[in-house]
Amino acid sequence: MKANNIRNTILEMAFSGATVHVGCAFSIVEILTVLYRNHLNFPANDVESPVRDYMVLSKGHGVMAQYACLHEKGYLASEDIQQYFKNGTRLKGLADAHIPGIEATTGSLGHGLSVAVGLALAAKLNKTEQMCYVIVGDGEINEGPIWEAALFAAQFKLDNLIVIVDKNGFQAMGTTDEVMSLGNIEAKFLAFDFDAVTIDGHSELELDIAMSTFKANKNGKPKVLVANTVKGKGVSFMENDNIWHYTRLNNETYAAAVAQLQGEE
Amino acid sequence: MRAAFSDALVAAAKANPKVLLLTGDHGYALFDVFRKECPQQYINCGIAEQNMVGVAAGLAKAGFIPFVYGLSAFVPIRVLEQIKIDVCYESLKVIFIGDGAGVVYSHLGSSHQSTEDIAALRAIPNINILSPADRFELSNSMALALASEQATYLRMGKADLGDIHTGPTNSSMGALVPVVINQLADILILATGSMVGVANQIAGENKNIDLYSVPSIKPIDVKSVLDICTGRKKIFVLEEHSKYGGLGSCIAEIIAGKVLCDFKTIGIDDRFSELCGDYAYLMEEHGLNMDKLDKLIV
Repeated sequence: MKANNIRNTILEMAFSGATVHVGCAFSIVEILTVLYRNHLNFPANDVESPVRDYMVLSKGHGVMAQYACLHEKGYLASEDIQQYFKNGTRLKGLADAHIPGIEATTGSLGHGLSVAVGLALAAKLNKTEQMCYVIVGDGEINEGPIWEAALFAAQFKLDNLIVIVDKNGFQAMGTTDEVMSLGNIEAKFLAFDFDAVTIDGHSELELDIAMSTFKANKNGKPKVLVANTVKGKGVSFMENDNIWHYTRLNNETYAAAVAQLQGEE
Repeated sequence: MRAAFSDALVAAAKANPKVLLLTGDHGYALFDVFRKECPQQYINCGIAEQNMVGVAAGLAKAGFIPFVYGLSAFVPIRVLEQIKIDVCYESLKVIFIGDGAGVVYSHLGSSHQSTEDIAALRAIPNINILSPADRFELSNSMALALASEQATYLRMGKADLGDIHTGPTNSSMGALVPVVINQLADILILATGSMVGVANQIAGENKNIDLYSVPSIKPIDVKSVLDICTGRKKIFVLEEHSKYGGLGSCIAEIIAGKVLCDFKTIGIDDRFSELCGDYAYLMEEHGLNMDKLDKLIV
């Protein structure tokens, strides 16, 4: 599984489906690629297996990236991908738990971490080795339930929970600093008694090492990986331009974006 | 009723280790027995109800049966979106216990009173709404909730109003439960929760009144409602809930255009409680006390 292939699939979906949120999907491509390729235990023919690892995309707006990964792993059919966002089809514009492989219905922000905490707690109660990964947006952590869930995760010693903050610095209406400054996210989670580390969220090596290290560290603490990312990463005219939260691709922008991604092959 | 709730909960947890009790730091002595008998199944989620419901959804998804306990002013109202998206959209089996429904927390004011919970939940798919009138209906409601494959909201109103029935009711989900039956009396009262007791006093020996308790507001047996309502001169629906969106609205939706009679919902007007007072005072303020209703109905 290659990040660039995932970006290509996202671009196809966004163009053929005439949909938005491309920037949100591009910022988490490496995170999801590394997770699905190297870490997530999903039995090949049973994504609902009771002993699977859990992957909750709390920032449901980035779901095109998850669809692309599920497709790459063979869990979603090519037809589903090709028909994304069209009338009468399965794949909606925000993450939907009715799709096998998607654990929670998100997009209303601040829900996924609580559900992930419940899944991680279930694994602890069942004494299994299941890991629970959850990706939250940095804008999303404005939401109060995120911090309720963080308190809970520490109180119940959920060291099988790895929270990945997609820190791309943007939320819907502007930068996180302009709208609702988050200060030092790593420090905030440390203060909630998490283990925390900040890495380059587009470096597959750094992601790999951080996830492996966290998974091995059974010290009773939940983990947070603050991933510095770029909204729209991979297509120069989309990078750090929040308009790609909302803008649909036209023939010209699609062709230009495809050319850039092909240039990276 | 609270003792019956505790008994049923402890029995369910002892029978099935997958049953968990989640509380938003509420319940105190109510859970003494549970904490003693099933300490591993007791989870105090702290004063953080939104997270509690999301956690319950995760646990349910992984095969547990979570009971989520809170004051009905908070569960379901404060957490309505979590119930809608995290639980109901996925048809997860989570059992919500809303304690102190209606104006039970009288002195504390409107923040702790709950007269909109049924209305808010009725519009959400994949959830049962149960509103038992006494300990027998409560025990039966707990059994129905456990047997159901989807979410249930169990509304507990005033706890110390005494029994309606003389023994177990064993009614099925959606059924109306006869309380006073004179067979097609001119006046029909349908009541739920705490108001069944008041209605029972009014019906008393009056041969012109039939009274049914409605412990299952959603689902509700539409055919039974039509059968029971047809041929009456007057129908009164009594509930300790807003007149908007509760049992009265539910019955009106079913009989509209099908049953011709005088129909009146007796509940809480479209306003908050105005002054401080005890439960009896507030029931009088809202016109739900025995004296006022007796004059209105008989």
